[in-house]
Amino acid sequence: MAEYSCLIVEDSPMMRQLLVFALARVKGLRVTEADDGVDGLRKLASNKYDIIITDINMPIMDGLKLVKRVRSDPVHKDTPIIIITTEGSQEDRQRALQLNANAYITKPIQAPQVIAKVKELLKIE
Amino acid sequence: MSDPPRQLRSDPPMEDLKRERDAFIQQFFRRGAQISEELLGELEKLRDQIDALEAENARLKAHVASDDAIRKLLTKIRELEAEKEELIAKTGRSSPTPDDFSDRFAEVENELANLGTLHVAGIQLHTGTTVRRALRNIKELCAQFVGASQFVVYLATDDGSSLVPISVDGLSQKEAREVSVEDHVGKAFMSGKIMWDEHGDPSQGSIHKPAAVIPISLSGHKMGAIAIFKTLPQKTSFVGVDYELFKLLAAQAGPALVHARLFEDAGRRVPGVQSFIDQED
Repeated sequence: MAEYSCLIVEDSPMMRQLLVFALARVKGLRVTEADDGVDGLRKLASNKYDIIITDINMPIMDGLKLVKRVRSDPVHKDTPIIIITTEGSQEDRQRALQLNANAYITKPIQAPQVIAKVKELLKIE
Repeated sequence: MSDPPRQLRSDPPMEDLKRERDAFIQQFFRRGAQISEELLGELEKLRDQIDALEAENARLKAHVASDDAIRKLLTKIRELEAEKEELIAKTGRSSPTPDDFSDRFAEVENELANLGTLHVAGIQLHTGTTVRRALRNIKELCAQFVGASQFVVYLATDDGSSLVPISVDGLSQKEAREVSVEDHVGKAFMSGKIMWDEHGDPSQGSIHKPAAVIPISLSGHKMGAIAIFKTLPQKTSFVGVDYELFKLLAAQAGPALVHARLFEDAGRRVPGVQSFIDQED
């Protein structure tokens, strides 16, 4: 029985698979995948998620726009969001955090790092 | 007539003597009774003393026995203490500390993550049924998994004298020019060996000094090479799993591209069952 639900918004199937594989290590976490920001919003409209992981660079709707929309959604305005960035620059991190994302991970991602962030934000021991 | 025989009779005791005799006898018996009583009393005392001595003896015996038991117990305690110390020392030597456990846990988690990365990369690499998709998979693997920021996929010309860029990322087409087999990339292609600087900083690589070159082949036929010129700024070193990914690309990128090409050429039709019958060794 899943205790938590997570939405992964990522256009790269390879990255999505890697995230799904990594998060399978978090007990009680149900993972849903979305191809891009628009698909992500569609899924957010029909379900309540406990945490959202989104890439920044995506076609159609990028991760930053998605974060803005999520923060204006009464259901998910307080949902923890982890942003995945390609760039390691301080500017991009600040931009993401200014939009009220809770954490960021830079590529190439390391599964233990993702697991640790998710557990930290969901307050899982 | 004769006189009757005279009977010999002693003279009756004299009264004094009689009294004296009776007194003596009475005294004698009294004294006897007294002595008997005294003897009985002495006997009783002796019996009491014997009882007391026996009791004392038993007590002393018990004391000695308990002292022995205590001595034995003390010896046993000393032995057990020594054994405990030895066990504690052994436990200290052999049992992992909490730090050891968390280090080992982190190690196992990393190994699992690495295997997961290779598993996903291996599966995804062969999901491309078009050359475009196969190339995209190769690029994603380089960019997302390895952290490459500037890289080119080259294929060899038919005569094998040069390498032609077929996919470029992070560089202009001009920069990613056709290269000869005398070039850095070409040399790795010719040798068939993965070239990478294990100790260098791949984020500082350049077109003239690639961070890694991975030759790609199919069934021993040299097909081309993937040159990673530079990685993302935060990717400052290659690690074990990167080398495993290079090996995966070296072995699987070529087949993935060829299969995608052939599938497209076949009009994206899966061959019929007849083409698979009698193909066993």
